[in-house]
Amino acid sequence: MTDDYSYDYEYLFKIVLIGDSGVGKSNLLSRFTRNEFNLESRSTIGVEFATRTVEIDGKRVKAQIWDTAGQERYRAITSAYYRGAVGALVVYDISKAESYESVSRWLKELKEHADANIVIELVGNKSDLDHLRAVPTDEAKNFAAENQLLFTEASALNAENVDLSFHQLLKSIYDMVSKHQFDMNDYSSQAPSKGPTVDLTPKQNEEKSSKGNNCC
Amino acid sequence: MSQIYLNLNSLQFGIKSNYKSIIIDPRSNLYNLTYPLSLINNSKLIINKTFNLNSIAQNEQINASLSRFNKFKKILLTSNSIIDLNNLKKLSWNGIPMEFRSISWQLLLNYLPSNNDRRASTLKRKRKEYLDSINQLFNNSNDGPIKDQTTWHQISIDVPRTNPHLKLYSYPIIQKSLERILYLWAVRHPASGYVQGINDLSTPFFQVFLSNYLNLDNNKNSLDNFDPSNVNQDILNAVEADTFWCLTKLLDSIQDNYIHAQPGIIRQVNELKDLIYRIDIELANHLEKEGIEFLQFSFRWMNCLLMRELSIDNIIRMWDTYLTEGINGFSEFHIYVCAAFLVKWSDELKQMEFQDIMIFLQNPPTTNWTEEDVGVLLSEAYVWQSLYKNASAHLKSHS
Repeated sequence: MTDDYSYDYEYLFKIVLIGDSGVGKSNLLSRFTRNEFNLESRSTIGVEFATRTVEIDGKRVKAQIWDTAGQERYRAITSAYYRGAVGALVVYDISKAESYESVSRWLKELKEHADANIVIELVGNKSDLDHLRAVPTDEAKNFAAENQLLFTEASALNAENVDLSFHQLLKSIYDMVSKHQFDMNDYSSQAPSKGPTVDLTPKQNEEKSSKGNNCC
Repeated sequence: MSQIYLNLNSLQFGIKSNYKSIIIDPRSNLYNLTYPLSLINNSKLIINKTFNLNSIAQNEQINASLSRFNKFKKILLTSNSIIDLNNLKKLSWNGIPMEFRSISWQLLLNYLPSNNDRRASTLKRKRKEYLDSINQLFNNSNDGPIKDQTTWHQISIDVPRTNPHLKLYSYPIIQKSLERILYLWAVRHPASGYVQGINDLSTPFFQVFLSNYLNLDNNKNSLDNFDPSNVNQDILNAVEADTFWCLTKLLDSIQDNYIHAQPGIIRQVNELKDLIYRIDIELANHLEKEGIEFLQFSFRWMNCLLMRELSIDNIIRMWDTYLTEGINGFSEFHIYVCAAFLVKWSDELKQMEFQDIMIFLQNPPTTNWTEEDVGVLLSEAYVWQSLYKNASAHLKSHS
């Protein structure tokens, strides 16, 4: 896969980044979108935004990523951003058991506020802190499998698996969208600035017609 | 006054020798002041410890600074039994010279009594009350409080990332202070509790009050070279208690910003939107066309009072003015400041698409902003406020 940061794209996927405060969501995002890591980053207030365009199966896919504040008080504000998201990264810190224990709460949040078909990836961040590990890889991996989540461990600090986790999520969304045989022109012809455009829930008639076309 | 000789040796860096009397009554800080620090340290004016004033403009600038300096001195060192707060407000709107800032802020917040006879006793009482509460809360141990682990956890991960670009906040002794301030406030305000961003709001107070005990020059990085590790505990206790009480006063005026669902912020964001539709309809239409929602970019402006968008020195100058606006400075005047702030970038924004607008507004180019830029912003906000405040409800079509 080759990437670049230009403005042309064929798909626009809205992604949300959620998880407990301090697990490193903002640094995962800045590592992915700008290849930057900031040890002295401030806490995220409300929601912050970044994008990057990557190539998947020869198509240019733009990820529009909304990074949310982890604190409970912001939930009312941030959950509004789940609407229209086609992917979510649920992040925990492999050295903080509590942040992993919160994952089911975050999944519940998604269930309540996000689209039913949203693709979810569980990301164990700070894999560079292996000596302080509090969450065994296998445990998280099994949990992910049981809950139909993608899974990676990554490190925003040393960049390990950061691109991989985003690409894996985007690829999975792409596959899902392709499988559903949506009319891609619906997404690509719209003004790119209009924000999230891919709807994962096929409308009744679209579903029928896509089944009809599925004969080959 | 074409030549003024200054003894620059008196400007040594460190704790002021009369710190004990400043703790008792901050007015003791003012008696020895002779010249404005802003003039003494203006490098353009210093030539071998002498300055020659050639240009008329420089002369005027210096005269204006001297005149403001003397006015502040006169108001604050009045021989009357009561400091005239109305005059202090009028004068402070255009900015408070740094040597008068700490006492002026505390007076404007009604923390410090304007009555000369009550000042020392009130301060003593408030600081004791704070210290007692802290001792009670932390049970005289250093193991951290046990009462509310969630809040304590949130505070303890946020304090180290508070103003991380400023060295002062990296010292453990300062971080411990902020933790205590924030935790006590949270415990005393259960409807809101600690909300991220409140940590930011404590720092202008802390910094201004601490500076009051230091021989600082007017160089804005000077506090960054200051190591607080060995500062006298009485000074830190006073600064910490004063910060707590003043932060409490400030937050009282914006408590709806931090309670469940943050209705105060939602209201402010809607008012900002409404204002922009009246002030700059082209910009408002463009933002709408691009699918930008005001909440997406201005939530943080309200939640942190623009502290993420402007340097702390700029914010401190801004608060000089906010504090003169009384109880509504931070909840209402701030919206007009945000409007002026947004409209400032109108030309650029109108050329941009959704994602560029978002990214621009998350990181607006204010790095080189000076006090003068902030002064202009505040004046613009003042104009919008006089034009649109209390405007008829029928004009509100977009909120």
